[in-house]
Order: sequence, then structure tokens, then C-alpha cells
Amino acid sequence: MTLAIDARGVGKVFGAGALAFRALDAVDFQVTPGELVMLVGPSGSGKTTLLSILGCVLTATEGELRLFGERVSGRPERELPVLRRALIGFVFQGHNLIGALSARDNVRLVLESRGTTAHAARAEADALLAAVGLADKRDRLPAELSGGQRQRVAIARALAGSPPLVLADEPTAALDAHAGLEVTELLTRMCRERGTTVVVVTHDNRIFHLADRIVHIEDGRIVDGRLSGVAA
Amino acid sequence: MTVDVAARLRAARGGRLRRAQATIVVALRMMLHDKAKLIGTTLGVVFAVVLAAQQLGVLFGLLQKNTMFVDNAGADLWIVPPGTTQTAPGQRMSTALLDQARATPGVAVAAPLLMIGTSVTKPGGGSEATTLVGFDLATGLGGPWNVVAGDVAALRAPDALFFEDAQREKFGGLNLGSVREVGGHKVRVVGFTWGLQPFGPPFSFADIDTVRDLGAVPADQLSFVLIKLAPGADRAAVAADLAARCPTATVIATPTFHATIVSTLLRQQLGITFGTSTAFGLIIGFIIVALSMFSAVLDNLREYGTLKAIGLTSWDLTRMLVVQSIVYALLGSLIGLGLVALMSAGIRGPNLIVIVPRTLVLATPIIMTVLCMLASVLALRRVRRLEPGMVFR
Repeated sequence: MTLAIDARGVGKVFGAGALAFRALDAVDFQVTPGELVMLVGPSGSGKTTLLSILGCVLTATEGELRLFGERVSGRPERELPVLRRALIGFVFQGHNLIGALSARDNVRLVLESRGTTAHAARAEADALLAAVGLADKRDRLPAELSGGQRQRVAIARALAGSPPLVLADEPTAALDAHAGLEVTELLTRMCRERGTTVVVVTHDNRIFHLADRIVHIEDGRIVDGRLSGVAA
Repeated sequence: MTVDVAARLRAARGGRLRRAQATIVVALRMMLHDKAKLIGTTLGVVFAVVLAAQQLGVLFGLLQKNTMFVDNAGADLWIVPPGTTQTAPGQRMSTALLDQARATPGVAVAAPLLMIGTSVTKPGGGSEATTLVGFDLATGLGGPWNVVAGDVAALRAPDALFFEDAQREKFGGLNLGSVREVGGHKVRVVGFTWGLQPFGPPFSFADIDTVRDLGAVPADQLSFVLIKLAPGADRAAVAADLAARCPTATVIATPTFHATIVSTLLRQQLGITFGTSTAFGLIIGFIIVALSMFSAVLDNLREYGTLKAIGLTSWDLTRMLVVQSIVYALLGSLIGLGLVALMSAGIRGPNLIVIVPRTLVLATPIIMTVLCMLASVLALRRVRRLEPGMVFR
């Protein structure tokens, strides 16, 4: 079976010389297709750095990363946007919607940036917004939506084009307990329906029960939750 | 879920046109969304356009004031004193040149022109300077144009003069039939021109013999000889022949004389003054646009980071800023040129006209587009250096 994520010996050092800081140290991290993994750990433990490397927005200093069998490490930087467009959907901590675009256009942008025609992009955006319960708010700007609603739009955007991998960074951080749980349940449900692999970075133990596996990371090393049965 | 990575990568590599269209729409929406920045940046371009175009318009107007005599005298060639760079009273030449010119093959008409600087005594005392132009009434070369009152034929009467309409009050309330004193002689106003005011004193026109009397100029002196070519005559060949026959003078074609006046003025104070203010207009506009676009990028850094994270390339973001630059330039140019047109109409008068030639109108959006694109370099550098990973921080 091809792993959705196969990171081996991944390390990341920021800075150089006396100011060098090792954020990740020889991390092995594997996720099977369709699995929902939560990355947990204290602040500064390297969760977000690992998520950034998995999301091809940051390159590892060492080690090897494969997504769905496709080698990521060693690729030239100009290839990384192609990988992101092809394979990954993102849900950010602060929703990160484009303020000038309506909910529908935020979702459409992802689709059209992948070459989808305007008509098809509009239809898929509407369907996704309906699926997250925002059919009647698709023409609203992000500023006209509540925090929970914005994060729902962010989920619709992350799932636009059915990426096989969704990476979510603290998706509940900016929401109250109820909205946070609701949004994560929505994300979980929609990803499970689509067979999407999901990695969620979170501190929020109220959503841990939604995970297939919880991986603990501390001081740049994975301390618990490794996938069993994977050859080193 | 089976993932066909190769097919997905193929699809993600394609769709460039669609992505370009999508990013252009986002760029425009982002511009329109931040109305304060839109207005600020557009005003920067408007300011640059108004200042630069208005200054250039005034410069062209002033140049026109100084070349209008050459352009309207009706001559094909001029015989002028050596070193002449303007049509103004100055060094005089011998009337023998007139005979030489008339004897030259290819010359249909050779007419004398006499220019003297004098003053008009006002009824209540005091005087005002004028440049008195004496021309040959028979040929009309070098005579008045833009006549708004009176008849040029009336200048056949002794001591008859045409004055500049805009100077009526300055000369003590002139009207047709008014009598004034010039050089100790009584003269009578028989007509008015409009807008014939060079840098120096305004032109007044009279028959050349009248001007000789008023200025006590000897009968064998003149200022210029104006040449009208015979049909089919070759201007360069006739000019060369004339130059050979008139070694003490300079023979110059009308377009060359025009160009000489313009280049002389531009090399002097006029060019420096207007060139500096035009350059300042463009520089200030450049700074406003550059700062405004850079500040817009800083304000939206997270959004640009998000766009990179979801798969847009640095080139996609570059395209967005270039599109914004072009829109700012075109919008600002349109508004700016409109304002310049209004201002030009508002300040148009006999003393000053603002000339905005078609070339300037067409060049302004192009120049402003280049300026705005250069101004966006700062913003571009910031966007291109932006790491998509910043969205996770």
C-alpha cells in the first residue's frame, strides 16, 4: 500500500551558526490514505514546522518526504506550487480567506487556479458551500460572516478540487468551544465521506476523539503515536 | 481512495490561462475592496499626470507663442541676420538682400519685414512697450493673422496700426479709431488681433513704410526677408542658391527656423524650469504610487501568503501587481487628462494657452503605466520574497 504521507528522518534547522535552531529532529511520520491524524504537543514542539513541510510550503533541511508515493524532497522550489495545487487542501488557524472575495469566490479561486472552467468552478463551489451549510451565504464577504462560518468556508475551500490530503492548522483556535467542535466534526465528516487523508495540528483536547490516531511531538521529535508496521 | 498522482500533477501543471484569468479578477477585486488605497494610489497618478501634463502643456503653449510668427508669416524661406534664434527686433540687414532674393530663380515673392521695439504713449500718461511689425502690404507676408476686428487693407492709410485685442486696456482703452502716440507720431487704431503675444511685448502691425517713419529706420534697412517659393521650386536648392548670393546673412527654411527657436528656448531657462517641474510631478507621483502599492501589499501580506500556499506562483502574484499597476495608470491618466483639459479650457487666454497635443494624450497612459510598473517593483520584491509558510505562523 502506498502511504499518503511518508516522512523519514525529516529535520529542519532554522538559522545558521551560533543562532541555528533545530525545530525538527529526524522525524519519521507516516499516514495511511484516508486516515485522520492529529498532531499534538506543546508550543514550540515543531508541530507547525512539520505541517508546513508536509504542506510543501517549507522545505526540510534533511530527510525524505513522499506524498502518495511522489517524492517531494529534492524537488526544485518552482515545482512545489504544482504539488500544492495537485494534492493538498489547507485549513488555516485564522481562516485566511481573501477579504475582497465572497465565500463562493474564495472557493472558486482554488478551483480556477487548478484550471477548472468558471462554470464548473461555480457549480462545485456552490455544492461545497451547501455541504458546509452556507448555501444562503455564498455571496457574503468574509467580514460579513461569523468566525465559525468563515472556518466553514475555509473547509469548503480546502476540499475544493477534492485534494487527497487536507492539512489543518489549529482549526478551532479562533472559535468558541461549541463552534470549534462543530467545525472539526464537519471537516472530519466531509473528509471521511471523500476518503481524504487529514492531518490536524491542535491543542484542543475536546476534538481528540475525532482522530484515528494522535501523534505526540515534543522538542522536534515524535514521542508517541507512530504508525505501527512501517518498515524503518 | 486511490490517488492518481500523475494525472493530478498533469492537471495542476495545466490551466495556466484559467489561472491567469482568475488572478486578474482577484487583483482587481483586491484593488476595489481597499477603497482608501485605491483612491490614494489613483490620486498619486492623477497628481503626476496633472502636474506633468499641465507643465508640458504650458511649455508647449509658450513655445507656440514664440514660434507663431514664423509659423504664420506665410514664408517658405527666411533670410535672417547671422545667429538669429528668434523673431524679434534686433540686428538689421541691408535691403540689397531683397533685390538679391528677387533675382534668384525659384523665388516667387521676396518681401521685407521690419521689426522694431517701441512704446505706445497712453492718454493718461505713461507708456507700454510693443513690438511693431512692418510688413509688405502688397504680399501680406508677415502680416497680422487671428484678426478679430478691422480689415488689414485699412493699414494702407497713413499711420494706421493693428493692436493686440488683449492689450486694449493696457494701452489705455483702445477701440477702433482710437488715436495714440508712437515714437512721437500720432497713430490710429484700425484693427485688432487675438493672442499674438510672444514672450516679449505684444505685436502691433503696420505697413513697413509706416514703421520706418515711426522708428526713424533708414530706408535701406530691414529685419528679415521673407521668401515665397515659385510652384514646383525645390526649397533646398533655392535656399542654397540664396545662401550663395547672400553671404552676409543666413538663409533658413521655416521648419528649421521653428526648430531653432524651440531648441534655443529649451536650452535656456524655459526648458530647465518646466523640465524640472515636470520631472518633480512624475517623481512625486512615482513615490506616492510606490508607497501606496507597497503599503497595500504589507496590509495584505497574509492574503498574498495564502494565495501562495494554495498554489499560486510568484509569477501569478507578479501578474496581479502588474495588472493593478496598469489599472492605476490608466485610471489616473484618464482622470488626470480630463482635469488638464478642464484646466486648459479654464486658463486659456491671449496671454497663455495650454497646449496638450495628441501625442502627449496618447503618451501619458503609456508613460504612467511604465511609471506605475516601476513603482510596483518594491511591492513586487516583497511579494516574491514572501514565503508561503508564513500562513502557519
